[in-house]
Amino acid sequence: MTTANGAADSGGGFLHWLLQDTMDGLRRRRAILGYLFLLPTLLGIFIFTAGPVFVSFGLSLFRWNIFKPPDYIELANYERLISDVRIAISFGNTLKFTVLAVATQVSIGLILALAVHRISNTAMRYYFRTTFFLPLLMSGAAVAVVMGYIFHKEFGPLNYYLGLMGVQQIPWKTSADWVMVTIVITSAWRNLGFTFILFIGGLSNISQEVLDAADVDGAQGFRRLWSVTIPLLSPQILFATVTGVIGAIQVFEEPFIMTRGGPGNASRTAVMVMYEHAFKDIEYGYGSAIAVVLFLVIMAFTATQMWMSRRWVFYQ
Amino acid sequence: MSAEKKMSRRDLLKLAGAGSAGLVMSGLPVKVIAQDPVTIKVQAHGLDDNQLLPIADLMVAKHPHVSVEWVVLTGIDHEEVAAKILALVAAGESIDVGYAATEATQLFAGQGLAEPLDDLITGDPDQEFWTDYFADVHPSLVEAMMYEGSLYEPPRDFNAANMYFNTNVLAENGFDVPGPNWTKDDFVEIARGITKKDDAGNTDVFGYAWINRLWGSWMPWIFVAGGNLYTEERAPGGDWCWDGYYEGDPAVEGRGGGFRWRTPIANSDEVVEALQLVVDLWREGVTPDIEMGSGATLTGFYATGKLGMTPAGGFWAGRLKNEGMEKGDFDVQLWPAWRNQKHQFGTGGHWLAAGATAPEEAWEFMKIEVSHEGFQASPFFYPVIITTSARRSYSQAANYESTGPANYEVFYDTLDKHPSTSPIPAPPWANPMTTIFTTGTSNALSGAMSPQDALDQMQAELEALTARQPQYYADN
Repeated sequence: MTTANGAADSGGGFLHWLLQDTMDGLRRRRAILGYLFLLPTLLGIFIFTAGPVFVSFGLSLFRWNIFKPPDYIELANYERLISDVRIAISFGNTLKFTVLAVATQVSIGLILALAVHRISNTAMRYYFRTTFFLPLLMSGAAVAVVMGYIFHKEFGPLNYYLGLMGVQQIPWKTSADWVMVTIVITSAWRNLGFTFILFIGGLSNISQEVLDAADVDGAQGFRRLWSVTIPLLSPQILFATVTGVIGAIQVFEEPFIMTRGGPGNASRTAVMVMYEHAFKDIEYGYGSAIAVVLFLVIMAFTATQMWMSRRWVFYQ
Repeated sequence: MSAEKKMSRRDLLKLAGAGSAGLVMSGLPVKVIAQDPVTIKVQAHGLDDNQLLPIADLMVAKHPHVSVEWVVLTGIDHEEVAAKILALVAAGESIDVGYAATEATQLFAGQGLAEPLDDLITGDPDQEFWTDYFADVHPSLVEAMMYEGSLYEPPRDFNAANMYFNTNVLAENGFDVPGPNWTKDDFVEIARGITKKDDAGNTDVFGYAWINRLWGSWMPWIFVAGGNLYTEERAPGGDWCWDGYYEGDPAVEGRGGGFRWRTPIANSDEVVEALQLVVDLWREGVTPDIEMGSGATLTGFYATGKLGMTPAGGFWAGRLKNEGMEKGDFDVQLWPAWRNQKHQFGTGGHWLAAGATAPEEAWEFMKIEVSHEGFQASPFFYPVIITTSARRSYSQAANYESTGPANYEVFYDTLDKHPSTSPIPAPPWANPMTTIFTTGTSNALSGAMSPQDALDQMQAELEALTARQPQYYADN
C-alpha cells in the first residue's frame, strides 16, 4: 500500500500506477486480475458464511424471540450457557461422538481402501468403490429413519438375527450405554465412503518407485504399510480427520431422527440443543450463543489439528 | 413492530361492517368479499394426501376469485410442526391460515401470531351458523382453544386419550373388553395377563405400549393419579361465548377464558406414583422400551398382534383399518379410574394469522371447514375417521360403521359424561416444556434415574423454564 500511495502521490494516478509498462505494473495487473477472479467466491463467503457468523456474535448478546423487539442483555446468554447442565452434557456427547465417529471413519476407511486397492480385477475394484461410496449419496434423514427401524430393540431385524445367534436383545436406542454406539455406527456407515474414496485416491498417487525402494530395503507387509504407505497418505489422513471432526461436531440428523436426543440427554448433541433453543423455544439469542461457542470449539479443534499436523504429515 | 398506531384488521372490519350496514340501509347490494383475485396461504401436512383439498374446492366453488396456496409443513409431532411454523414466519414468509393442536395454541396466541376470533364470531351476520356450531361442539374443546379470554381456533377435531384393546389378543388370554368403570388394578391385571414371553425371557406380545410424547404417553396416568405437570388455573373471560352460545348448558359451569399453566408440580407424589407405575410395567417386560414418536408409530405393531393395549384417540380407528385390521379386531374404553377418572384430551383447529394478507377470505375458509358441508366433505371424517370430530354429530354410529370400534361412544362420552376432562398442559412455552417432559420420561424409562430423581430434575427444569418466560398470563 505504501508503494501504491507513493505512486498515487507522485502524481501519476491510480491508472498510471496500474498500467505502468514495467514488471511491477505487470505484477499489479496480475494480482488485481487474481483478486477479481476470487471476488465472487469471497462475496459468497462474506454474505452467506462470514456475515451470518458475525451476526450470530451480535445476536448472542440479545434476548430475542423474533416476534418482539430484542433486549440487549450483554453476556447473560453466555452466563446461562456456562451453568446450563444440558449444554454441558450435549457438548460432552458431541465430543464423545466426534472421537468415536472420526476414529471409526478414518480407520475403517483406510482398511477398506487398502483392501480394495490390492484388488487387481478392475471391474471388482470399481464395484467395491461404488458400493462403499453409495451410502454417502443417500439422504442422512432417510438413512436415520431406516436405521431407526433396524436398531429397534424389540422389533428390529438386527436384534432378531442376533437373537438367532443367542445374543440377548440390545437396547440400541434406549440405553444410555448403547445409544452413542448406535449413532456412531449409523453415521460412520453413511460417511465411510468419503474417507474411503479419499484414501483410494491417495494410494493411487503413491509412487511405485518409492514402494519398490522400500521392498529393496526389506520393508514389507506391515512394516511397509506403517513406515511408507501411511506417512505418504498422511495428507489425506489429515484432510479426512479435519473435515471429519468439523462434520462430526455438527452432527444432527442421526440423533435427532433416531432418538430425539434420548434416552434422557444421552444422545443430545450441541447442534441439537442449538436447534431446540433457537427454533423450538424461539430463543434466538441463546441459540446464537451456543452457535458461537460451537464455532470457537471447531476453530480450536481445527487449529490444533493443523498445528499438530506439522509433526506427522509428510508432503511428497 | 412499529410503535405508531396503525388501523388493525379488527378496526377495518368494524368500519367495513358499519359501511355495509349503511349500504344495506341505502338499499344497495352488499359485497361481503372483494372480487379481486385473492390467494390465501393455508398450512397443510402434505400435497398428495392433503385432507384440506375438498375444503379448498368448497371455498373456490363459493368464491371463485379465491385460490388456495398450500404451505406444506410436516413433523413427527405437533411441537415440531409448530417449530417449523415459527421458523417460517421468522424467515419472513407469510401464512394466512395455520393449524394448531392444543400443544401450540397458546404458543401462537401468546406470540401474537394468531388473531383472536371473538369479534369475528359475535359480529358475524350469520349467527345461525355459530349457534349451530357451538351447540354441536363440547364447551371443554372451545375453552381449550381460548387464551386469556379470547378464542383463537374453532375446534375441528379432538382426541381424548382412551384405551385401545386388541380384542384378539385379549380373547386369546381369556379377557373381555372391560366396562367403563374399570380401574388401574384391572388394567394391570389385563396387561400382565396378555403379555407373552419367549423361552429366552424376551417379550413376544406386549400387554401395553405407549410413545414418549406430551399427549397420550403416560400423561393419562398422571391425570387419573390426581396430578399434572402444572396446576390448572382458568383465565377470566370467555363469557361472550358461554353466555352467548351455551346459555343454560350445565357443561359450561365453572369455565373461564382458557387455561393457565404456570406453577409446576411435576414431582408431586401423584406424578411420582404414575411414573412408578409405567416404569414397573417396563421393568417387568409388559411394556417395550419407550421411544419418541407420534400417534402412528405403534399402529403396525398393534395391527400385527404384538400389542394388546395402548392409549389412543378416535384417530386410531381409521389408521388401524388402513393397517388391515377389521371391524371387531379392536375396541376402545375410557381410561381406567385410579384416584379419579379425569381424562385428558388435545384439540385442534385452524388459526387466523395476525396480519394475514387476505383476512376475510382466510376467515371464510376457516368457517367453511367447520361447517356441516366442510365436515361432510373432509377426508378426516370420511370414508374413515382419522381424527375425532369436534362436532358431536359426526362422532356417531354411522361414522364408525365400517371400522369400529364398537365402543365408539366413549370418544365423545369422555367429554359429555366426564366434566373433569381437561386438555394436556400446554402453556405458551409448551415446546421447551415438552422437551423437558420427554427427556425426564426417558431418564426414568431407561433406568438412568429413579422416577423420583427424574421428576425432581424435571420439576427444577420446569421451574427454571417458567421463571425465564415473559408474562404471558395477566395477573388476576
